[in-house]
Amino acid sequence: MATTHQRRPSSGGQGDRGPAGAQAGKKKFFYRRKRVCKFCVEKIEYIDFKDVKTLQQFIPERGKILPRRISGTCALHQRKLQNAIKRARIAAMLPFATD
Amino acid sequence: MRTYEVLFILSPQVPEEESAALITDFKRVAEGTGAKLTNEESWGRRRLAYTIQKFTEGNYHLFVFDSDSSLSELDRRMRNSDRILRHMIVRTDPDHKRAEKLAKRNPKKERVRPSPAFPAAAEPAAPEPETPAGE
Repeated sequence: MATTHQRRPSSGGQGDRGPAGAQAGKKKFFYRRKRVCKFCVEKIEYIDFKDVKTLQQFIPERGKILPRRISGTCALHQRKLQNAIKRARIAAMLPFATD
Repeated sequence: MRTYEVLFILSPQVPEEESAALITDFKRVAEGTGAKLTNEESWGRRRLAYTIQKFTEGNYHLFVFDSDSSLSELDRRMRNSDRILRHMIVRTDPDHKRAEKLAKRNPKKERVRPSPAFPAAAEPAAPEPETPAGE
């Protein structure tokens, strides 16, 4: 305890940066919210290709399908979501690509 | 018994009377091959996500059929009709069946976990998640 107090003033004007430097010294830590599968939470078992509103949540601006690692959808539901989105694309309810 | 969803987009140039006639015609074709109409929806004129045959709008119409045989005759007719911009016939009963099975299995799991923590909180959360769509 005492030693740390003595060292801080000795480092001069960097006293303010102390805490920031300590954080950078640690391993990089990102706060990551726990992602959960939306369909599991809402207990949606059948993902309908006609339900454009829910499908659109998984379509970023470019029109691509949002990957699982970002949306947090579980494997099973991602597979069904993928099929639903592809069907909706054929029906011209969702774009294949937008630029 | 299989369930088929038939979604098709009529050209916006087709006058209403003719489209009504076309729709009843298609229904008759499907019923002629032993299909039973269980649901029918007309979504009216909608914007297309991309242009089809240089049209940006189309009249959407949906049939839901129960049938023992395939709807190949209806499929052929729709493909040959120039009034239809796009049609899609999707068999949905296997997916619905699987979904039912999962629904039966899951409620037990769900009841064990979140019910004491937030029985009420789960519901207001449901309509909210429209926000990520804008991102």
